Amino acid sequence: MSVGDRARDVLARLANASATERILISTAALLLSILVGAVLVLVAGRMTACTPNEAVYYFGTGFCYDPILVFDRLFLGALGDPLSGGWSPDGQFSVTLRETTLLIFAGLSVALAFRAGIFNIGTQGQMVVGALATAVAVLWGATLVSGVLGTVVLVPFGILVGAVFGGLYGAIPGFLKAYADANEVITTIMLNFIATGVTLYLVSGVFKDPESAANQTVPLPEYAQFPTVLFGGRQDFSLVALFFGLLAIAGLYYLLEHTAFGYDVRTSGIQPEAAEYSGVDAPRTVVASLTLSGALGGVAGAMYVMMILGTFQTGVPSYGFDGITVSILAGNNPLGVGIAALLFGVLKSGTTVVQFATDVPPQLVGVLRGLIILFVAMPEFFRLVGKRITDTGSRAVATDGGRPEPAAGSSGTSGDDGGESDE
Amino acid sequence: MATAVHLDGITKRFPGVVANDDVDLAVERGTVHALLGENGAGKTTLMNVLYGLYEPTSGRVLVDEEVRSFDSPRDAIDAGVGMIHQHFMLVDPMTVTENITLGNEPRKWGGLAVDRAAAREAVVELSDRYGFDVDPDARVEDISVGEQQRVEILKALYRGADVLILDEPTAVLTPQEVEELFGVLEELTAQGKTIIFITHKLGEAMRAADDITVLRDGRNVGSVKADETTREDLAELMVGREVLLDVDRPPAETGDVVASVSNVVVDDDRGVRAVDDVSFDVRAGEVFGIAGVDGNGQSELVEALTGLRRPQHGRIEFLGDDVTADSRRQRIEEGMAYIPEDRQERGLVMDFDLTENALLGSQHSKEFGPNGRIDWPATRTHAEAIIDEYDVRPPDADAISESLSGGNQQKFIVGREFERDPELVVASHPTRGVDVGSIEFIHERLLELRQQGVAVLLVSSKLEEVQGLSDRLGVIYEGEFIDVVDPDETTEEELGLLMAGEHPDEDDADASTDATESGSAEAATGGDRP
Repeated sequence: MSVGDRARDVLARLANASATERILISTAALLLSILVGAVLVLVAGRMTACTPNEAVYYFGTGFCYDPILVFDRLFLGALGDPLSGGWSPDGQFSVTLRETTLLIFAGLSVALAFRAGIFNIGTQGQMVVGALATAVAVLWGATLVSGVLGTVVLVPFGILVGAVFGGLYGAIPGFLKAYADANEVITTIMLNFIATGVTLYLVSGVFKDPESAANQTVPLPEYAQFPTVLFGGRQDFSLVALFFGLLAIAGLYYLLEHTAFGYDVRTSGIQPEAAEYSGVDAPRTVVASLTLSGALGGVAGAMYVMMILGTFQTGVPSYGFDGITVSILAGNNPLGVGIAALLFGVLKSGTTVVQFATDVPPQLVGVLRGLIILFVAMPEFFRLVGKRITDTGSRAVATDGGRPEPAAGSSGTSGDDGGESDE
Repeated sequence: MATAVHLDGITKRFPGVVANDDVDLAVERGTVHALLGENGAGKTTLMNVLYGLYEPTSGRVLVDEEVRSFDSPRDAIDAGVGMIHQHFMLVDPMTVTENITLGNEPRKWGGLAVDRAAAREAVVELSDRYGFDVDPDARVEDISVGEQQRVEILKALYRGADVLILDEPTAVLTPQEVEELFGVLEELTAQGKTIIFITHKLGEAMRAADDITVLRDGRNVGSVKADETTREDLAELMVGREVLLDVDRPPAETGDVVASVSNVVVDDDRGVRAVDDVSFDVRAGEVFGIAGVDGNGQSELVEALTGLRRPQHGRIEFLGDDVTADSRRQRIEEGMAYIPEDRQERGLVMDFDLTENALLGSQHSKEFGPNGRIDWPATRTHAEAIIDEYDVRPPDADAISESLSGGNQQKFIVGREFERDPELVVASHPTRGVDVGSIEFIHERLLELRQQGVAVLLVSSKLEEVQGLSDRLGVIYEGEFIDVVDPDETTEEELGLLMAGEHPDEDDADASTDATESGSAEAATGGDRP
């Protein structure tokens, strides 16, 4: 068996891995990434100078950085030190959940588009547009209602506004793809820049808070922001928002798996010709998927304004791009997005803890984070590649007759049977 | 003359199917040899064996009268066998020279750098020798498809190919480019190269080849000299004449016109006219068959009728309404069932299980869930009913479609479409790739539907199938109906003649002027038999 055959074989095996196998693979990948990361920390620790009493000693050798401490801080620190007894709901754990909430929406946004076979890189832009729209609309709404009623009315209203504007902004690349055959990767990237530019213009002009030096809107009144429940408000986290996030996960899962629209989306994503055969209106499905995807991005923006910042300010963090990683990590499955967003949230929040607790440079922590994501995402990535290769393998050879041809009896593994094999 | 390539008793089995069954093929040096056959006859598989992509289950490959065993295309290339795939394997942004020499570039500086000048010179020298007109410095993305094909040929020649295999070389070319290609082939054989080209168009085989080998169902059914055969003989060889089954077909009790196609003109994906002014009616309770060698416009005609392709001109009526502008979904909802010819592309979602696939086309139907929701238990019951009724194996509604054999996939599609309670069934090659037992079963079900008053449009390239099942039979050739005949009153020879594009009216025109006067389709049906 040649190397090529063996690689093909491994890919095919990955492509056909069951859910349990995939969870096992992911866990193993996580452990492996920690191991490789630990070696890196040790090596980096050898190459730095520190006083002997700052150093830790393993195998009789001194190292400046302690990998155990680093990973302890990265994970346990992010969870607010649940083992040390000093756990508080308003601590680092809140930060982790806050990041997780935003990443859930960003991840779902990307995942939905992916399932429809569309690569939406524009979640970031849709989020920015949704954020500004929410801030402006809620500020206007806050002049009409206030108090508890204000919270009950304004928070859902803000989310709705974010969804509508994010959705409209997502619909643009949708229309461009469906009716002008414009590649969505290009258009969404460009629209990201446009979103950033236009919001900067607006927030430094008409919507600018005259009292502030920064380019930001007038701060939202307290009652127009997410209420804090159980968790303290110090870390800008609201359990209500997370609840919305979990609702969105369940909702999107139901939409994809249990509705006719979801069936259309999934079919279009994996086999457009079959979707067309079954009566799916391809352009309409593209527009609808990207609109919905944009709406989820817009909600992320609304959350950012109403939960974290309390105002709209330029320089929105790149949750939208993190959403791509989250989605891929989750295999574009809404339920997986929840778990992947939590892992990502832990890593994001843990990074700051590591920086406080150790001398390890932030760049190195970034490398560790990247390693973990790379390791966990790679099997999934290769699974997708494997699927594609074993699929196209069968189609590339089936050239007879000028159109792709049914191959008989070919499973994914023996997919290169070719089209001729069926008579 | 020496034999350049000799395939000796090649058998290639895939799980569940025999793609090539004891095929012998001898190709003389310096000739063009056409490998002719229907889609799925085993042509490409055979050539992939020769090219080292597949290892034969049994049999020997001889090149230059020497037994060879190719593990990969590289071995084949080393032995002087090159293959030009239908889909070109060129790097678009790179120049012609770069593409031709890719992987075998002349080196300089001790192998550290590509000797561009030498590469260019080699390409110019090569194209001059064979009279190719290609610009060595043009980017591949800027040149025409015909030129790209010549670049592919040059690439094979550059690697020292003496035997060139061309897989459906004309499928992507315009008629002018086809002529140019045939000129190129002549030049190549004149200089001693050997050409094998795969085609399903018998006209091309006759025009360009010295020898023709016809494959059917994975077997070599005949090797002939092009100038000693006729198109009719070839058509017969391709589609076969053995009567597989004796269908007991009660007389048709036809009702109203269910589907009516008038003056429909359809272009294919390349914008080339595929269907040219075709008209026919299908009535309730009858099977209207369309016979013809593959690739004569059947696919495009069917796609226009079922709503997958917009006709350029003409009108399509269904149940008395003009549906020309209706979407595919509307046509499904109005009662049009469709068994597509490419089941793995269209008919089934390969990654879905059978339950999910049972829903394909009915996902918006009230039957499987109200208000846009999907009632999965009901869908599952439906899938199990199809599996049970149509004997799909394995009988498991959770089985992923891809894991089923082609025949079982087809049975599932047939079942799903027949159970739609349709007014019209469009069946495109419904028994392709299906075992004999299932073929009979599908035929019986088709006739049952007909008895129930369903209109059936049957497209098939299997002569015995269309002839045995159809009440009326339209013969299509190059996008036009050559004739509409009564299949019971027409011999296979006559059908073969029609499928090869020989219009009976034209023959008659020479013999008697009277027949031409009344040369309408109906009159021709009765009037042309000897």
